[in-house]
Amino acid sequence: MSSIDGKETGNFGQPVSEKIKSDLLTLNMGPQHPATHGVLRVEIKTDSEIVAEAIPHLGYLHRCFEKHAENLDYRGIVPFTDRMDYLGAMAMEWGYCLTVEKMLGTEIPRRAQYIRTICAELQRIASHFVYAGTYGIDLGAFSLFLYLMEEREKILRLFEEMSGARMLYNYIWLGGVWNDITDDQLKRISKFVDELQENMKTYHSLFGENKILIERLANVGVITEETAYQYGATGPVLRGSGIKWDLRKDRPYGIYDELDFDVCVGEGLKGTVGDCWDRYHVRIKEVDESIKIIRQCLDGIEEGPIMGKVPKVLKVPEGEIYMRTECPRGELGYHLVSDGGKTPYRLKVKSSCFTHVSMLPDLAPGQMVADLVATIGSIDIVLGEVDR
Amino acid sequence: MSGITPDISNYASKDTMIHQEELTFGKWCRNIWDAVSTCFKGLMITGRYIVAVKPVTIEYPEVREELPTNSRSRLFNDVDNCISCLQCAAACPVDCIYITAVRRDKEAPKLKTDDGTPIKLDLRQYTIDTALCCYCGLCTTVCPTQCLTHTTDYEYAQYTLSEMKYDYLAEDIRAWKHRIVK
Repeated sequence: MSSIDGKETGNFGQPVSEKIKSDLLTLNMGPQHPATHGVLRVEIKTDSEIVAEAIPHLGYLHRCFEKHAENLDYRGIVPFTDRMDYLGAMAMEWGYCLTVEKMLGTEIPRRAQYIRTICAELQRIASHFVYAGTYGIDLGAFSLFLYLMEEREKILRLFEEMSGARMLYNYIWLGGVWNDITDDQLKRISKFVDELQENMKTYHSLFGENKILIERLANVGVITEETAYQYGATGPVLRGSGIKWDLRKDRPYGIYDELDFDVCVGEGLKGTVGDCWDRYHVRIKEVDESIKIIRQCLDGIEEGPIMGKVPKVLKVPEGEIYMRTECPRGELGYHLVSDGGKTPYRLKVKSSCFTHVSMLPDLAPGQMVADLVATIGSIDIVLGEVDR
Repeated sequence: MSGITPDISNYASKDTMIHQEELTFGKWCRNIWDAVSTCFKGLMITGRYIVAVKPVTIEYPEVREELPTNSRSRLFNDVDNCISCLQCAAACPVDCIYITAVRRDKEAPKLKTDDGTPIKLDLRQYTIDTALCCYCGLCTTVCPTQCLTHTTDYEYAQYTLSEMKYDYLAEDIRAWKHRIVK
């Protein structure tokens, strides 16, 4: 390298200084991009392979849920809540039903409570499987997807027998659940979780312990404790940053206060606390905790009715309420305002995925494009819930 | 060439920058060993699947899956048992059920459904736009005579949207009664 007037020059003698600066390249990741998990458009400005800026653009899956809910009776809203987070539909329904039941003051039968808990935890497992499987595809590891989809299909088959649909169940109703669960199904769930606990170790050693994967995920997309707090992150993203906060434990609803389970947090085993690998590991550990909860529910399930007393023509008393539950992806809140009529006056949904997407502009700068894919995958968003 | 190669520190905030330790020869060797051994472990699992595990997929057009009995697929209304109460249309969250009925003539012979409910209205139109239907099942739960049911029939793709509109009074659709109703 030579120099002219003491200034550094490039290969052909031209001065290399601030004057020669390559422009930033604007690139659209999405809306049709397999790594954005739905119709999310991320407008990124790249300096060669490094992301300088990332702006998420939302609204491609906006279905006007909140406005629509104002014209529907309370029972008719349940199928619409399914369609927000279509991978965790049971949890969405449960959150909505809890909100309305709290306003009505309905007593839920014990059997229905147990069935709801079993369903929600099975759904959590299924949702985390979709996360881990598609995350593998994003990072170039295809085989895990196939194994996890096979396991998930068993859960969906159970749900189909119970509710009648594979993904959009409309199973948890105001006051209880639609159909009763048979002893045969309970036995199959018990057998399924026994097998799953063994298989989870295999899947983790196949995917999570792989050195190539660790190299790609450790120290990438670090969400520090402070960032997580400031953005209001919830669920596995918050717990991946090392904060012990789980609504099932800290603000129990349903029968969670009677059940014994641990809250998993990221420990920074392979890199820093709060990196992509930690968020992956928190979810995998949560599957084990869910299995623990399901086992306790299977032991404790009682005989009895499955529907509480709910009037046929449903009118919710005047007032407002905010109810939040722990969904597979984080905290889901329903703010219901009622004027005493047959339809809600206002139904506002607080979604965790929306919060997590808004962290992207803070996380992306300075990352490689390939690492940005890993980061988007690790916060596990479902665009149906983001846009609603 | 420091001016041309982009520098991460231009863009990244200080929290996200992690200083990695320097690579020594020993570490380099261990990295390679880790990569090979963990990949081999994964390949063992894949290998086991090739040899020992039966395929779980079904080859669709040749092998058809039997859905569970309460699976919610194509709707069927048995119009002979329908009393035109309009409860299904009221319960439908997407308003895809269209019913027209007129009062039955007093001199006309008295009709009853299979479970003994008298039919007081003549059904003139019973159409469901299956393209709009969201298969939530709310209409079937409110039906007092159990005439509106979900069947387990799932192969009914069409080329146009208008073909998804089922007029349940039409002869060909009435004939489904003996074919698919569970």
